[in-house]
Amino acid sequence: MGIELYKEPKLENSIMFCGWPGIGNIGITAIDTLRGLLRAEEFAEIEAWDFFAPRKVLIEKGLLKDLQFPSSKFYFKRIKDQDLIFFVGEQQPSEGRTQYAVGQKAYEMANLVLDVAERFDCRRVYTSGAAVAQIHHTSKSKVWAVPNSKSLIEEVKQYENTILMSTTGGGKGQGFISGLNGLLLGVAKKRGLEAICVMGEIPYYLQTAPWPYPKGSRSVLELLTKILGIDLDLSRVDELAKTVEKNIEQILEALYSAEGVPPEVADEIERLRDSEQTELGPITEEEQKKIMEHIDELFDQGDQKNERYL
Amino acid sequence: MKDIFKFSEQPKFENPSLIVGWQADAGNLGPKVIEYLSRKIKAKSFCEIKPADFYSFGGVAVDNDTAQFPECRFYYGETNDLLVFKGDEPQFEQYKFLNAFLDLAEHHCKTKELYTVNGTISSIAHTGPRRILAVFNQQEFQNEFRDLGLEDMNWKGPPAISSYLLWIAKRRGIPGVSLWTEVPFYLAACDDFQAIKTTFSFLARKFDVGSAFEELDDQIREQNAKMAQLREEEPSIDEYIGVLERGGSLVGDEQMELTREVNEFLEKTDL
Repeated sequence: MGIELYKEPKLENSIMFCGWPGIGNIGITAIDTLRGLLRAEEFAEIEAWDFFAPRKVLIEKGLLKDLQFPSSKFYFKRIKDQDLIFFVGEQQPSEGRTQYAVGQKAYEMANLVLDVAERFDCRRVYTSGAAVAQIHHTSKSKVWAVPNSKSLIEEVKQYENTILMSTTGGGKGQGFISGLNGLLLGVAKKRGLEAICVMGEIPYYLQTAPWPYPKGSRSVLELLTKILGIDLDLSRVDELAKTVEKNIEQILEALYSAEGVPPEVADEIERLRDSEQTELGPITEEEQKKIMEHIDELFDQGDQKNERYL
Repeated sequence: MKDIFKFSEQPKFENPSLIVGWQADAGNLGPKVIEYLSRKIKAKSFCEIKPADFYSFGGVAVDNDTAQFPECRFYYGETNDLLVFKGDEPQFEQYKFLNAFLDLAEHHCKTKELYTVNGTISSIAHTGPRRILAVFNQQEFQNEFRDLGLEDMNWKGPPAISSYLLWIAKRRGIPGVSLWTEVPFYLAACDDFQAIKTTFSFLARKFDVGSAFEELDDQIREQNAKMAQLREEEPSIDEYIGVLERGGSLVGDEQMELTREVNEFLEKTDL
């Protein structure tokens, strides 16, 4: 179980950004977009076979050419005398049926990621994911930020368009961050390494949708570029966000007109349109359950029993 | 390694070949080929892989009214030059399982080459021949099999456990081949005796263990007779199989109907 280093870049006082797939792929889209726009260079990879099953085999003319696994790669870049490390994982290691990291494997991967961070003199880690919120898909996503140390709270409070857990619905500063985004914060804390998870909001009725939610990623990107003091062209994310928003509108309209969702559920979703989160009346657990049942049905793609394995 | 394996004896080997068959195979090919081969070489078990790390123990599966339990065993033949392995695919920790498997094959058994036998579902009729498609993990090893009647496999998609095993063996420098024998899709859930015989005969020739197996020939004759009876009784089934015999293909519903009818009929006439 280990890391394959292709290069040993000399990095100092670096900042690491980590992204994995998750709800709306908000985190991985944000981190991978940042990595791509900065043209960061690949330098290491976590050996996949200890964590993942292979997902594709390539056989040509009777010869086994390749077996492909989900990748977990590290990249580096220096901007304005600031060294950056990116970690992009195509899948979270899991011992169960969830897509989020759980169990011993998840803990091992979190430690491997942080081994690389420490080896390359990392002083701060950012992880990124999604925050399921009572917002409408036409609203701008806020970013929820959770640091792993109280000393970082004042800094987080200065971030634009960013809120702490204590200022969200519950108001007690409590919650749960699933998967590696959360686990990494904890493992970093144990190692005495600063880490902050930045989560772009996604409307709760879209949390099981099989497509990305680039609006959430856009807000995370805005925050990270501000933190780094850089200006990047985010037009591709904006275009994707527009397309996704248009598609969501069409799907909801089709659902409403076909009475695919009960009128009260449609009303609840429409109440969120252009509303500030704080202005909303509470949605009861029953109503939310009802909405999610319909949305889950809509997004249920079925299994692929006929898929062939060779 | 000691934690994973349980040895009942520790025989010495000198560069044997290892033949692997997984349970739950199309046409029941892997288990049956291993069974016939084991009988031919008077195979004796010498080691098993302990199941604790690799299978779910939330209960037991029931098949044919019988409780099942995962089992992975290595056997050796009386001449010590042929090993066979019969096992259930690991549900967890496949990489660990396959590496342990190859540790045993490489270091304990000094295995020189690896074979896996598998059924692959195909849109062919049972009345035609079964091709054996092959995947090798080394070009040199593939060259040794030219003119032996195997056909080259081409495939891009999800990997089976045999491909995963072959890939790890390749990284360790162990030559290996996966033999994928065609099984008509409508016989995938039962024993496809013709495919079993085709594969067994290939291995029997290769390892000179004698291919004569009257029991298998009888089973083929019996299955073919039942299929002929079904075709006579059910014109639609006869038509579907006729399409396949002429190289045509069936649509989803037709495939489902053919599969259901064949399986019900074979099950009924087995009673």
